[in-house]
Amino acid sequence: MAVKKDYKDQKLAEKLRDRKYYIPDSNPEFIKDVEKIGQTAAHMCYQCGTCTGSCPSAPRSSYRIRLFMRKAILGLEEEALTDPDLWLCTTCYSCTDRCPRDLAPTDAIMAMRNLAFKRDIVPRNFLQTVQLIYKSGHGVPNNDANRAARKKLGLEEEPETTHKYPEYLPGIRKIIDHYKLKENADRILAEGE
Amino acid sequence: MSGNNHQYAFFLGCIAPNRYPGIEAAAIQTSKNVGIDLLPLKGASCCPAPGAFGSIDLNVWYAMAARNVVLAEQMKMDIALVCNGCYKSIWEVNHKLKHNDELRDGVNEVLKEIDMEFKGTVDVWHLAELYYDPKVVGVKKIADSVRRPLTGAKVAVHYGCHLMKPGKERHFGDTENPMWMEELVAALGAEPVQYRNKMQCCGAGGGVRGYDLTHALDITNEKLINLQEVGADALTEVCPFCQLQYDRGQVEIKDKFGIEWGLPVLHYNELLGLAQGMSPDELALDLHAVDVEPFLKKIL
Repeated sequence: MAVKKDYKDQKLAEKLRDRKYYIPDSNPEFIKDVEKIGQTAAHMCYQCGTCTGSCPSAPRSSYRIRLFMRKAILGLEEEALTDPDLWLCTTCYSCTDRCPRDLAPTDAIMAMRNLAFKRDIVPRNFLQTVQLIYKSGHGVPNNDANRAARKKLGLEEEPETTHKYPEYLPGIRKIIDHYKLKENADRILAEGE
Repeated sequence: MSGNNHQYAFFLGCIAPNRYPGIEAAAIQTSKNVGIDLLPLKGASCCPAPGAFGSIDLNVWYAMAARNVVLAEQMKMDIALVCNGCYKSIWEVNHKLKHNDELRDGVNEVLKEIDMEFKGTVDVWHLAELYYDPKVVGVKKIADSVRRPLTGAKVAVHYGCHLMKPGKERHFGDTENPMWMEELVAALGAEPVQYRNKMQCCGAGGGVRGYDLTHALDITNEKLINLQEVGADALTEVCPFCQLQYDRGQVEIKDKFGIEWGLPVLHYNELLGLAQGMSPDELALDLHAVDVEPFLKKIL
């Protein structure tokens, strides 16, 4: 009769039998959140590495998108969301186009970034863009040199956007405020001062 | 406005009108020359930037992009635009909301607060795809509009990421080695050149330009090496954000890495403008960080 392979330490044996979640701080809900926000079946990833091999950020940094996919599946939320490499994805979608499992690793990364933001983990430049859009409707707003150039071209100094029609700004601010985005951006930036 | 022209609501975005206004002027003029009228989309905002906004809260990205689409719905007009980043936001959110009831209901709940409703009644197009589409313009009509062929110039194409990728959601076919933009370049009399890793990202997207400029520039620099190898006289693209990264990026690369490339970077609408006879002044080419003069000498 074959001997069942097991560990003497019963607790350890139990942990290792559950092959998905054997690290004490892993969160099995993490992959579900990533899949819901990213709208991709990330748990189907079989770690072939096509994503990392297609990634323009991989050759010049320690960012490995395959690793993030694995961490999502293993529920290593803390590790994934606090890793500064999370913000090195240029969202070029090469990995998504080449994934043999038809997944969207790019959108899984976007989902992890959304989850990081919920915990106030976010680089400053993202928050500054929110402030700019809240103020003017534009992430890259007009300036005097550009106004002069526009005039020379025969264009109006202000483009036909919120710049020329600031009466549209309250509506935009209402949308941003609905999600408390400006409030959170201001707070996180102030705390980082 | 001519009677039989196609009409679109022109979504401007940020970088074209606010950094390279020549692209805006060229888009309006060159499109008119091939039978497209671009009408102002009053009160549009940032698309909003898919990298910056999408990364922190996709729900805000959906709602704000939807607001821009609704402005066009109110005009009963399809949207045309000149930027891949804008295309990602406006095309993709329009597409998603049309096909996902739950998402649309969520967005409409927020839009209700500002008396708007997303109905899903318009489509979104990049001008480049309209130029290529024979049902709207087509390569032949582009070629017929040329007054000053760009003969003798080797022009490389940067497709960018967010127009064609992810391919399974889009409708452009092959995303590994597409050639349709080369056809549009050849129509202007220039010689389109192939180079290594043509589909690689410019490096700026996803908020990386703001997060880690050196990292972003290193990606850009790799592309510039590959372009140098085939002797390109200019790089053309259909994304003002890529343009910013390649154009101002070359100044930053010189600063940070001590490498000087001097490769002129032109949006396809600027290139089309030159070929249709617009002057460099009418295109505000002096606003480019990299001197366009060597390229102009080649073609004028």
